[in-house]
Amino acid sequence: MVTRSRLSEQLQQSMPQREPPYRPAMLLPAAERAALAEKLGDAANYEIGLLRDMVQADPANVEFRKAMVCGIASAEFAGVDAFSRKVAEWQDWNVPPELIMAMARQTWDEVRHAQLALGLLDSYGGKIDEYPDTLGGGGGQVRQMLELALGDNPQDPLISLETTNVSLEGEALALFQATSELGGRIGDALMQHVYDYNWADEVTHTAIGDYFVKELCAADPAQEGRALRAHAKFEQIRAQLSGEQKDEIRAFFAEEADRASTALG
Amino acid sequence: MTYRIALEGCINCGWCRRACPTETIAFFLTRQRTHVIRPEGCIDCGICARVCPVDVISYDQEYRHDPIDLEAAKAHARAWARRQRQTAQQRKLRAEAAAAGVRARPADAGPSR
Repeated sequence: MVTRSRLSEQLQQSMPQREPPYRPAMLLPAAERAALAEKLGDAANYEIGLLRDMVQADPANVEFRKAMVCGIASAEFAGVDAFSRKVAEWQDWNVPPELIMAMARQTWDEVRHAQLALGLLDSYGGKIDEYPDTLGGGGGQVRQMLELALGDNPQDPLISLETTNVSLEGEALALFQATSELGGRIGDALMQHVYDYNWADEVTHTAIGDYFVKELCAADPAQEGRALRAHAKFEQIRAQLSGEQKDEIRAFFAEEADRASTALG
Repeated sequence: MTYRIALEGCINCGWCRRACPTETIAFFLTRQRTHVIRPEGCIDCGICARVCPVDVISYDQEYRHDPIDLEAAKAHARAWARRQRQTAQQRKLRAEAAAAGVRARPADAGPSR
């Protein structure tokens, strides 16, 4: 049972805000969807992986670059909100103070990433709200959904670190490297440099997550099992979304089912 | 021969596991939050070592493959490479079609200052 401080209670009630305000792509009015389609061929093309390929296919079209950078920047802004909330909320949990400081550092890293995105957009003659947000912002709007999907509490530092820092940011390493390499291939030195910088921070964030998950699990196999199950579930959801399914995750859940049925007799 | 992961330096980012063409790097099934290369499935391609952001994967010359295991692993890798090529080709075609569908616009500013 976690006793909430006044600040974290207030945070639970407060929605993420940004100036200019968040404008989630999923909730765009028809007129704005049409404007998006005019720029990108189809509103459904506003998807980061495809946009990266479109930049490669037509490097002369600066709109593709603006859209790609705006899309990635949405995640950086969401990161500023989400990690700054953890600085306050995790003071209510039994975690080492160094972990709170690590979340503060990570918040500042996300701020720098957002600033880098603004600078890169400026180099294209663009600005942050020119394209909608691929994410609606941080602040835990998806927490309830995630809790149902994971079968565990995504606010729990152990679960949050394992899914966000280790799994999600670990997977983002390949995305940042690919985007940096894209910059190199099309002669966009600023894009290459910005995403190489982000990549280096993501390595640190993954390392922070892994280090503190190990700390929080120390000598407790049950906690390690919780972290592993949440991680597998999280990757399973992502794999289903991308149409992939890894054999090892399938085998892991088959093994879990066997264990459960053995335990139940 | 195979590759090995030095566990003490590994940050469990999973990049090696996702990149492995024979899916021979285990994480969930180890039950210990550690990435481990199952050598019988390794074809010594070295992709894992190249993508590792913290350089903890190294070549192990001591291991000797069972020729049957090695052939099975190579067959797995060939199928993986075919799927990768198909996916990459589909992505490229989709992006080219999407890009071609948009009238090329001159940039307001140069692509990069």
